[in-house]
Amino acid sequence: MKERVVTERVVEAEAAEEAAARAASPWRVPVVVGSAVLLLLLVGWITTPRFVTVDNALIIVRSASIIGIVAVALTFVTISGNFFSLSLGETASFSAIAFSFMIAEGWGVPAALVLTLLLALTFGAVQGLVVAAGANPIITTLGAGAALFGLAAVLTENKTMRTGSHVADWLGRGRPFGIPNQTWAFVILTIVAALVLTKTPFGRRLALVGSNAAAATATGLRRGTIAIAAFAIASLGAGLAGMFTAAQVGQGTTDQFPELTINAIAAVLVGGTVISGGEGSMLRTAVGAVFIAGLDNLLVIRGYSFGVRVTVTGLAVLAGVSLFTVLRRRTV
Amino acid sequence: MIPRLRIGRVMASRLVLAVGVFAYFALSDDRFFTTNNVFTIFEGFAQLGLAALAIGLTIIAGELDLSIGSAAAVGGILAVTWAGFGLVPAVLLVTLVGAGFGAIQGYAIHRLRIASIVFTLGTLIGLRGLAFLISNEDTVVVPDLDIARVVKHQLWIFSPFSLVTIAVLIATAVFLRYSRWGREIFAIGGGRTEAVAAGVPLGRPLVLTFMLSGAMAGLTGALTSLKSGSAAPGGFADLLLPAATAALIGGVAITGGSGSVLGIAVGSLTLRFVISGLSLRAEPYYALTFVTGMLLLFVIALELLVDRPEARQRFGMWRARLGRGGSRASPA
Repeated sequence: MKERVVTERVVEAEAAEEAAARAASPWRVPVVVGSAVLLLLLVGWITTPRFVTVDNALIIVRSASIIGIVAVALTFVTISGNFFSLSLGETASFSAIAFSFMIAEGWGVPAALVLTLLLALTFGAVQGLVVAAGANPIITTLGAGAALFGLAAVLTENKTMRTGSHVADWLGRGRPFGIPNQTWAFVILTIVAALVLTKTPFGRRLALVGSNAAAATATGLRRGTIAIAAFAIASLGAGLAGMFTAAQVGQGTTDQFPELTINAIAAVLVGGTVISGGEGSMLRTAVGAVFIAGLDNLLVIRGYSFGVRVTVTGLAVLAGVSLFTVLRRRTV
Repeated sequence: MIPRLRIGRVMASRLVLAVGVFAYFALSDDRFFTTNNVFTIFEGFAQLGLAALAIGLTIIAGELDLSIGSAAAVGGILAVTWAGFGLVPAVLLVTLVGAGFGAIQGYAIHRLRIASIVFTLGTLIGLRGLAFLISNEDTVVVPDLDIARVVKHQLWIFSPFSLVTIAVLIATAVFLRYSRWGREIFAIGGGRTEAVAAGVPLGRPLVLTFMLSGAMAGLTGALTSLKSGSAAPGGFADLLLPAATAALIGGVAITGGSGSVLGIAVGSLTLRFVISGLSLRAEPYYALTFVTGMLLLFVIALELLVDRPEARQRFGMWRARLGRGGSRASPA
């Protein structure tokens, strides 16, 4: 009994310390994220004239779009206190295959679009359901991802599924005002997601459940429903990414997105969303995705190898998460 | 002691499962229970057992090391590069490097009080980059194929590889069971706040856990690569799935604090029985991935359904613990 009291005090003291740090410095994480972007721009501007141009900025945002769409959707999961999903790449691949199949069968773009997204939504909701029942999100999505990959491979006999027509080209290759659809989708979805998170009851519930599950339950919020919704949204983002890519390249394969999952998580983390939930920002996730793409772009222009680029990305993620963790705790 | 009873019950059920799976395949296919096929099963077990032990130890400690796949890739490339020093020195050196890296990783996680899933995601990316960097982005090959022949030399149903794995498993089991440092790993996984309140130093078991997982990952990569005579920088990317599946089949509780090396070994064997049985039926690799994913989901469901309210409660504690970095989540 006595130990329990001690335990509770320790937990309370830590929580109080963290709350104080947070209240004292709501600007710390945004400042770090902003500084990192400025630093990248500065280094790029000094060393590589070609880096800071409007054309190159568009190239960077375009290459960040697919990861950005998924990362923004994934941020809902992280803020809800469910860490992240390891099945995003597989969901995107499955969606790309399903979309290609429906186009090839002549179902038409509108039907293929809606059905693919519904399929992705369902996959996410089912994973959310398992998590809501008390399972560990990381292990659940690891298993679900393998099952989805396997299912897609068994259904297609691991062969490439081609759309076989150009009816969906406008979706994947359209460039209204000279900017690709994917980039428009990334920008619009970031804004919508930010509004949903900050201005709607759902967004506030999501953050409350993530920051203090016990209090959220006590006030009558349903944690399970929130978890299901969060995973459904993340999966929807992956489905959208798969569909865009399938429409762009005219095919879907089981290993179309080998690095999507890890890159999307990296973008969320570089954007400074708290891994234990409750606090995060869609805009920062989007900046995180663009930052990683920008860093990669700068290194490509400078002629660095793939190995160097991936290593630097890993170091950037490590530096970012370490800094955020320390800054969130310090009160001074 | 309720935990011990629980381990007993879980362990018994997992042994029954292993025997059942073995009996099913042995009775349905006469090629299954032959010296050569049992040798093949143990060859698969040799690799999987070490990886499952790496991830299993971190789960027991209430953490998760996502970087084992990338660490194994680096280990494989280093081992093949250093094969000229001789087989034993190369393997020992790689294991030491893995242990050193893991110790640093554990120390960083401890000092920064950062969630291990976040930190190891950074090292997952960084080490993958390093693998490409040190291999010049190409498959490396051993100078002398005799080394490969030694590693996989068949001795009845064993090989030097599987004998090393069995020796490592036994040594780890003895260490965890009979040493204070080993029991501390269970203590911080079962109830971290209580363990710390009772005087367990948090740093030592954390550093030790990640040191062991790093060493095991390096050793798996080294022996697997030397056995095949080559190492690819993109290798071992899917190590996490079978490793986590084997550990959980073996009764390691995802909520931490509970599990055993014997269980991990039994879980690894069970998974290899299934994969061997399906391979004999000439099922393609993606069907095996599908089955592994479904098995993982099955084990998750089993854990949820067997003790549902308890599992839900523990998940909350796991979250609170992982959120040391910045969580306000309460431990209930």
